[in-house]
Amino acid sequence: MSVYEKIGGEAAVNAAVDIFYRKVLSDDRISEFFDTVDMETQHAKQKAFLTMAFGGPNNYSGKDMREAHKHMSLNEGHFNAVAECLVGTLNELSVPQEHIDEIVGIAVSVKDDVLNK
Amino acid sequence: MSKVCFEESTVELQSRESLLDGLLRSGHDIPFGCRAGVCHSCLVSLEDGQVPADAQKGLTAGQVSLGHVLSCQCFPNEPIKVRRLDTAGESVHGRVVSKTWLNEQVIQLKLDAALDYVPGQYVTLWKDDHLARSYSLASEPNQDEFLEFHIKVIEEGSFSQWVANTLEIGAELAIQGPLGKCIYTAQPEQPLLLSAVGTGLAPILGILKDALMKGHVGPIHVVIASKEMSGFYLMDELTQLSVEHGNLSVSFVSMGVGELEPSSIHLFHDDIYQFVQKKFSDLKGFRVFLCGAESFVKKMRKQCFLAGAGMGDISADVFLPFTTS
Repeated sequence: MSVYEKIGGEAAVNAAVDIFYRKVLSDDRISEFFDTVDMETQHAKQKAFLTMAFGGPNNYSGKDMREAHKHMSLNEGHFNAVAECLVGTLNELSVPQEHIDEIVGIAVSVKDDVLNK
Repeated sequence: MSKVCFEESTVELQSRESLLDGLLRSGHDIPFGCRAGVCHSCLVSLEDGQVPADAQKGLTAGQVSLGHVLSCQCFPNEPIKVRRLDTAGESVHGRVVSKTWLNEQVIQLKLDAALDYVPGQYVTLWKDDHLARSYSLASEPNQDEFLEFHIKVIEEGSFSQWVANTLEIGAELAIQGPLGKCIYTAQPEQPLLLSAVGTGLAPILGILKDALMKGHVGPIHVVIASKEMSGFYLMDELTQLSVEHGNLSVSFVSMGVGELEPSSIHLFHDDIYQFVQKKFSDLKGFRVFLCGAESFVKKMRKQCFLAGAGMGDISADVFLPFTTS
């Protein structure tokens, strides 16, 4: 059973996405990246990201991740900020620590692609 | 195997082939992303037939009622007719019934036309084959006999100047649409915030009439903003509506100077963003509608979302300036 299924599948993503997106928009380290993008489009992307991070059904490839982020000159600090927003969201939803660890593991697995390393 | 009518052509879906894949295989240019029903890039609009529930999973109530379908998740069991989203269908003819100045800049245009629409949607009005502009509907089809538009007359605006100076009562123009998904959907007791700047009042008025018509019982807050005091219009009508409906409150917010009579109108001298922040510091559980210029909608949407409104509970109609590029 994937962590996605364990924490409640699509319902978990729906519960998490608004909380996560609010955290991202309120985080001074990364909020500027979201100022110019359409919120609805971005919200859908956040949902896709969370689905992926939770180990749910997705068709994102490393190439997609690299392509989407390569013009943004992102660094370790940006990645960590997003990871903190993610963990904060999961804590707020009382997701057990073992599942959080697994989810963070998935997020970290795309780190090199996101940072274009 | 299902037959699909797509715009002007027909596509036969192969066994276990999604609508998206069938359309792409046939050479149609459909935007798509995740192919998992999450990113909503590949939405199409259903014009005829039924689709399985999975093809609309995760869409808002408004999108479902307008027949939006996730083409990557759509495996139809019967023949269907679809078209690209945001492409208006055939056009109908409308006849000019009245033209009334609502303030120094805005004309209320009423057209007689057989058009199926949901309040809050918009259409494109065609002067001729070359000149067209999109306007939001301010009317509600059950109580208003005619289509109503609020046309801001712009100094250099080819279309609005034509409406103001040349268009005559009884003249005909083509109406294409409707489009748009900023429409009333809510739980009957859910608190509503409807906010507009300028002629964003047109769709807000349509949505408001629809909500009242459908017996919305929760509190309804209408907040209208204008840079100048002279930019407000239909103030008496809106105030009268709030007298008739105990759950409706209407506020007008402007940084401009000037006094207004009668004093029964709720007029506030304030910045719209600060006003909404003070008055609605917690929007959790609210259904929010925002209409008007892009700068207003963007800023207000972010503010409302951060104040607790769910993203799926915020609907917006952005007025884009017409550009030739």
